[in-house]
Amino acid sequence: MNDKDTTRHQAKRNTVLDPPCGALLPAEDGIEAAFVGWLKEALNRNIFDALLIPVEVPAEDSFAYLLLQDAAILESASPLPPVMPVQGGKAISRLTMRGNGNKRIAVVVRPCEARAAVELVKLKQAHLDNLWLITMDCPGALLLSDYLEDPAAGAARFAKAYADRRHPSEWDREPMRPVCQICNHFSLRQAPVSDLHIGTLGSSDGAVFIIPASPKGERILEDMDMPVDAALDSWAEQVEEAEQTQTERRRQAHTELRETITGPERLMDVFSNCINCHNCQRACPMCYCRQCYFESAALKLPPENYLARAEHKGALRFSPDTLLFHIGRASHMILSCVSCGACEDACPMDIPIAQVFSLLADRAQETLGYVAGGSLEEPLPLVAYEMDELHQVEQPYVEIYHKQEVQDA
Amino acid sequence: MPEEATSLPSELEGATSLPSELEGATSLPSELTVKGLKINKGAEETMRELLRSLLESGKVSGVLALGRTGNAGGGVAYSLFTDPDAFRADGVAIPLLPFMPSNAGSLLSRLTLKGPPAKPVAAVIKPCELRAFIELVKLNQGSLDNLLLISSTCGGVYPLDLGVNGELGERLPQYWEAVKHGELDDQVRPTCLACAHFVPENADITVALMGEAELDAQCTLYLNTEKGAAFVDGVASLPSDVDGVASLPSDVDGVASLPSSEGGLESHLSGELETEAIQRSHSQRQVHQEALFAGVEVGLKGMIHTFGRCIGCHACKTVCPICYCRMCYFDSQGCEHSPEFYEGELERKGGVRVPSNTVFFQLGRLAHMSVSCVGCGMCTDVCPADIPVSTIFSKVGVAVQALFDYQPGRDVTEELPLRTFAEEELAQVAT
Repeated sequence: MNDKDTTRHQAKRNTVLDPPCGALLPAEDGIEAAFVGWLKEALNRNIFDALLIPVEVPAEDSFAYLLLQDAAILESASPLPPVMPVQGGKAISRLTMRGNGNKRIAVVVRPCEARAAVELVKLKQAHLDNLWLITMDCPGALLLSDYLEDPAAGAARFAKAYADRRHPSEWDREPMRPVCQICNHFSLRQAPVSDLHIGTLGSSDGAVFIIPASPKGERILEDMDMPVDAALDSWAEQVEEAEQTQTERRRQAHTELRETITGPERLMDVFSNCINCHNCQRACPMCYCRQCYFESAALKLPPENYLARAEHKGALRFSPDTLLFHIGRASHMILSCVSCGACEDACPMDIPIAQVFSLLADRAQETLGYVAGGSLEEPLPLVAYEMDELHQVEQPYVEIYHKQEVQDA
Repeated sequence: MPEEATSLPSELEGATSLPSELEGATSLPSELTVKGLKINKGAEETMRELLRSLLESGKVSGVLALGRTGNAGGGVAYSLFTDPDAFRADGVAIPLLPFMPSNAGSLLSRLTLKGPPAKPVAAVIKPCELRAFIELVKLNQGSLDNLLLISSTCGGVYPLDLGVNGELGERLPQYWEAVKHGELDDQVRPTCLACAHFVPENADITVALMGEAELDAQCTLYLNTEKGAAFVDGVASLPSDVDGVASLPSDVDGVASLPSSEGGLESHLSGELETEAIQRSHSQRQVHQEALFAGVEVGLKGMIHTFGRCIGCHACKTVCPICYCRMCYFDSQGCEHSPEFYEGELERKGGVRVPSNTVFFQLGRLAHMSVSCVGCGMCTDVCPADIPVSTIFSKVGVAVQALFDYQPGRDVTEELPLRTFAEEELAQVAT
């Protein structure tokens, strides 16, 4: 039985992306331009029929996912925009929740968006059969509110922060969202769920890697007549190094954060500014329920209920159940949380919710040996039945009741 | 779906170009000339005393009011108070704070959705919250029974940001200084600067704040209804008639100076609610409103320009007191499309935004709720994309309401325009 447990824990470890070689894409005129040019060529050559990609909105003050098949519209596309206004996993789910379409669509998303899409597939809210996921090494995104204060300045700040795409040690993570600053899944090496990955890390001057991460991805490169012969050692090295740095950063940040949220009093304090708008839930790619329990008729109670609860403590915060909502949400989606930060971007009260949830997610996923968005094959822990697991939780029960049960029997 | 959207803008533009009728909508209702009751205590203190006494005497079973959350950042939230001590000088309740973490109209709807409370509950809310609640009552989402509604002549509220970054506390002296002079601090919500309805309608008790130079030392309560008068009347008799009065703090004198029940209320009433300061503020806000509305980009192009950065979170709808639907059409199955739908749109237009319905959602929401929009400004405050939602919705709201000669929250017996059939109306649209 213990073997089974170990197998499950090993499942994720076996999915590290380690292809020896990738294709090289010349990028003398900038990485974005080269990538968009490549997408345009692929579209023209009918490698795929359409693209889902962030495109600048008409007022030039943000970006939106656009499904397009006209290569001309690609001019205003931005494969890695400075902000993440809508989580790409959510966009993928909107497009494919009812099934696989007829068109072959390439989707350009951030790594955390691809991982969210994978979770949504497992939750039967998305279908990837006719999609090609293309990701890039990601430096993070700016806080939406910071960016919107002055979009042009925001774009410049973003570009400057990671001007050196090849060396993550040179990236300035300070302007990025707090949860991006501690992200250790910024590449796809540990969670190769996309079909193609643009590796900027460790690339040499004037070129980036296009890394096939699935047979579908390999076929694209083949159809594009791109030889897959560039060694990826330098990429893997840089990614691994940055992963270590980021994991340490994350650990430190979480240790500090834990101090501030442990215990009901402190937890209450963190969420005390919450105005119950539930916007975290709406922006969250994992909160796919059409009707959240906390907005349902179940919680609409007669006034005497509220008054009795108020009487109990002298006062009842209104509307009630603020903290319960966050705890309820966490217990429902935390195993699939990809720490994308969409919730924090959407919070009008600046609650560090993505940071808190990233800590909870790491702990919960570690406990069940699961990595959200790590692989399509690994079943969701709450769906998979394991005879032997979580002994640390059930031990007290055995100690206290087992003897009694045997006696009673 | 978007093709329906394109057929709307021309009507929209028509609706927004009705300045002559706009004036009519913003003029003061004439019946608001109730006599006031002068109290030799500051407004804040009077409110605390009144509410504490109401709770202590058991005349109300709870009070919905703003209170401090006690967190490090000086957070504020609405609470349903049952403990009278919350209203002592060192208590957590701060009933008159210029802040609106939620529109209390929604909260009163939540409280009374399943029926009125068995015993009276008092609520201290802003005029637009009260108007929102009246609309919700008309929409069968709440009940006015057994509620004591207390409001004030409003100097506006600060945006939610200020409650987060701690600036709220710092700005308060400035706020009250402005209010005393009948002015507004220019940092209040833009929609407050442009508010035409800052004198509460349908409040049982109105606390005069705007232009009350002495509001730290004395205040005037306007008892607009018999209910309001009855509750205050009872409080007045407290110090002399009820046992246990000895346990009240000495600062209860202010309440003691209220008229006794035998004396009757009439003889002590003086002054009028509609002062010169109120009139002046009306004209100032009217000017603000015109300037604010002039900045709105109209037509479909304008909507696309303004709402292009919308992230589709629908937070505006969630916090809107009028958007009471448990399930919005735009969050429903009706808006979950098959991939073939998107592919069809793609063939037709060359590009489709995913998720879709960005502008359509706003137009749909406008069509559904603008006639009841009270211009509270919650939608702008929560928008993660910094879209001035409330400015746009107020502008459309004012125009639509003028079209139907309707004023949300004016009168609970006034039928909602979309529910009344008038054989002859809107001739200009029909032709």
